[in-house]
Amino acid sequence: MTIVAKPRGTDGSLLASLPWTLAALAFALAPHVQFLPFWITGAFFVCASWRYTIERRRHALPPTWIRAILALLCFLGVLVTYSSISGVGPGSALLAIMAALKLLETRRRRDQFVLLFISVFLVMSSLLREQYLWSLPYLLLAVLLTMTAWLRMSAAESETMRQSFRTGSRLVLYAVPLALAMWIFFPRLASPFWAVPIDTGTASSGLSDTMSPGDISSLSLSSAVAFRVNFDNTIPAPRDQYWRGLVLQHFNGRTWTGDELTIASQPKDQIVFAGAPVAYTVTLEPTRQQWVFALDMPYAWSLARTNIGPQQQLWRMQPIDQRVAYDVISYTEYQVDREMSRSVRDRYLAIPARSNPRTVRLAQQMRASAGSDADFVEAVLMKFHEEEYFYTLRPPPLGSHSVDRFLFDTKRGFCEHYASAFAVMMRAAGIPSRIVLGYQGGEMNPMGDYLIVRQADAHAWTEIWLEGVGWTRVDPTAAVAPERIDAGISGAMLDGTAAAWGLLPPSALLHRLSLTWDAMNAKWNDWVLGYGPENQDKFMQWLGMDDPDWRKMMLTLVSLVVALVAVISLLLFLRNRPPPRDRATVLYQRFIQKTGVTISIGETPAAYATRVRSRFSADSIDTITSAYLDARYGPVDPAALQRLKIAVSALSHPHQQ
Amino acid sequence: MQGGNTLEQLPTGKDADRAALDRARKVLGSIILGKDKQIGLALSCLLARGHLLIEDLPGLGKTMLAQALARVLGLSFRRIQFTSDLLPADIVGVSVFRQNKGEFEFQPGPIFTQLILADEVNRATPKAQSALLEAMEEYQVTVDGNTRQLPRPFFVVATQNPADQIGTFPLPESQLDRFLMRLKLGYPNEESERMLLTGGDRRSMLNEIDAVCTPAQLQKLQEIASGVHMSSPLVDYIQALVRQTRASPEIDIGLSPRGAIALVAAAKAHAYVEHHSGVYPDDIQAVFAVVAGHRLQPAGNTSYRSSAELCQHVLDTVAIP
Repeated sequence: MTIVAKPRGTDGSLLASLPWTLAALAFALAPHVQFLPFWITGAFFVCASWRYTIERRRHALPPTWIRAILALLCFLGVLVTYSSISGVGPGSALLAIMAALKLLETRRRRDQFVLLFISVFLVMSSLLREQYLWSLPYLLLAVLLTMTAWLRMSAAESETMRQSFRTGSRLVLYAVPLALAMWIFFPRLASPFWAVPIDTGTASSGLSDTMSPGDISSLSLSSAVAFRVNFDNTIPAPRDQYWRGLVLQHFNGRTWTGDELTIASQPKDQIVFAGAPVAYTVTLEPTRQQWVFALDMPYAWSLARTNIGPQQQLWRMQPIDQRVAYDVISYTEYQVDREMSRSVRDRYLAIPARSNPRTVRLAQQMRASAGSDADFVEAVLMKFHEEEYFYTLRPPPLGSHSVDRFLFDTKRGFCEHYASAFAVMMRAAGIPSRIVLGYQGGEMNPMGDYLIVRQADAHAWTEIWLEGVGWTRVDPTAAVAPERIDAGISGAMLDGTAAAWGLLPPSALLHRLSLTWDAMNAKWNDWVLGYGPENQDKFMQWLGMDDPDWRKMMLTLVSLVVALVAVISLLLFLRNRPPPRDRATVLYQRFIQKTGVTISIGETPAAYATRVRSRFSADSIDTITSAYLDARYGPVDPAALQRLKIAVSALSHPHQQ
Repeated sequence: MQGGNTLEQLPTGKDADRAALDRARKVLGSIILGKDKQIGLALSCLLARGHLLIEDLPGLGKTMLAQALARVLGLSFRRIQFTSDLLPADIVGVSVFRQNKGEFEFQPGPIFTQLILADEVNRATPKAQSALLEAMEEYQVTVDGNTRQLPRPFFVVATQNPADQIGTFPLPESQLDRFLMRLKLGYPNEESERMLLTGGDRRSMLNEIDAVCTPAQLQKLQEIASGVHMSSPLVDYIQALVRQTRASPEIDIGLSPRGAIALVAAAKAHAYVEHHSGVYPDDIQAVFAVVAGHRLQPAGNTSYRSSAELCQHVLDTVAIP
């Protein structure tokens, strides 16, 4: 048996600073936790408490082979979980794992430095996922905590927590103008050099591309923002705020589906615009789908690679996986497809045979008794309005003949039920019809003067084709629950009418707060996240730079950074070397400057005098030294100060060697 | 350095005291050759009302310095050779029963003097050492329950041989602390040594010198020295030095507040001895090694071999305000 004479155990020297390092790491890790697999967070906490126990009890660090095995296992774990090692998800997972495992071999301060570097990286990588408004204060706080941990690590034992924190804050404060200058002036490019791979696994939110009973009512509880709208001047009335999304025309008895997305051949020929235009900007939250929402009926839009389909729906070539802002001009008065061929008309009349027989029969009877198509439409809407139909969030489940069940038995439904039933009745009576999915209404935010459209505002309505008029919007929901259309979901919720549908009103204070928060988020999106090439150009021009290009911006940036660094250095210099206020000291400093020999730390004036005596006349050196000692350290003696003054100014330059 | 200010400002009575001190220094310099700095420090120590520990090899004039000090300053002088069988009674005295009177009579020991030389203080047992140390701190001794005052002024000059460690009882830190200064004399330079070899016998010269001042004058000088001006930047300086001894990784135990007070007293006395108008940074630096050296405990892994080097290191790292 061999005895290995190796020093074991830690020396406890990191005990004081380790908790701060751990806190900084945990803080930096926190924004990732909800995206990381559970075992990684667990591994971090196990390693952190293990490391702390080691330091406390003076145990030895785990041997290399254990660490190697752990590292391999964790790497494989990440590979299995994500089946990739590039991208934001696996990248942050690897960073977190690295922090956890690095803890197990943290022996000295140098290793602790590495940990704090990882902490900074973790903070920054959380910005790759999302840059919320609260990300900024969180980021500042995390950096501050890391700086404090850093200072705790290298500080003398006598330095208090407060001092470390203050020094840390000061350093962060020095960095802020630099960061700001770089953010403002660093040239923005229309297409970035690199693209951060977005996690594609995340489920899409909002509308889906089919409609079955219950699809939209499930959205109505979500207060997530779908998009925000800034109107340039006129705001259309709530009953005109139909945000067109996608159009569905195939019905299988239960579910409505749409066509493949295609580009309309002659969109401008199909649509005749009338009335006054409405101009506005939409900031659309990521949907991971291709729909682009605009007010019925869009005339022109600024979003790139976006087309209008044959059914007047806007869609983009790539899914919308990042927040986008686009300008649109719409006309709320329009006429679409006044002419339609027989074959096209037939497609909008198709209903599956033997489905919903009761509805078909009812529709045919009602059409026969009505004099015209228009009268028939009126009669159906009257039926919804006057008979015992209810608008509710929690409609009872429907069987296979969903329209029959709804129309004759349950009589309770949300917008998709009414839209579906109305469209089927129209088709049964020979009137072409289709379903439009989108949003209706929204809430004006008085804090920011813009419209918030939430997922709860998702809506389905119907369009019917009338001879000589073209496609006409008919919203059967308006017949059942007119307040839903006039006030919007939020309005109905606030005034209490929505309680009947199953939506509870929020507390007024909470609602106000949420509006304020939303307004701040909207500003953040506009000014910070939306600071792209266009906004930068505008801002540069506002600053007085004519014809801004990347060279001018780079030049400004470099000179600004140099100036800022100079100012900060000056501040630091003044801070660490306070100007001597004592008259005698000032004069003596002048004397030292004249001699050209620096005085070393702890060197007394007398010792200095013997050092420089050979280079000057010994008398003047002695006079200066003794006058300085008397003036600075003796009892108050103005004569000594006077002597010092005269002697210093009389001192001539050193003897030429 | 010129420094006539203090002299000129002093009233006439103090003038004489000042002159006596200068004369004392001159006379001491003529006996202990080439050790002007150490003589200045020894005088400062006595002016600061402190006891003096001289640590050096035999034959370098430790005893001579102590005797000369007593002689010049007109102090009564006794010498105790510390040995391992020395008893406390041998120092403080003993009560003897007088048969003719039928009562105990106190026979004062050698400590009842104004300047006592405790030669090779580390040879005696801790018990004997502590008898001396009570006297140093309290200026009194207690025998058979009776407390007796010692004559004033009262100084202890102790010597010890650093090289000889066998059979010694090194003074613990708490007792070292009672000595204001620990001095090393060191070898004389070539010139002084030649004068020693060719000049007359120092011991007979010692017997010929006269006292240049009286104990009363010495007490007055102590009074004046403690009143020397100390500017606030130099108080900062002393605080910075003390802080540095506590913070430096080279030092385990830094200066105590008592050590800092000793530093101030010694610096003031040194400034007075050196004719400075107030305490100068040089005064603090001059006394720092001898005042702080024996009070600091170097760290186990320090790279400085002697306390003097350690003290110089501290001085080299603290800026003078």
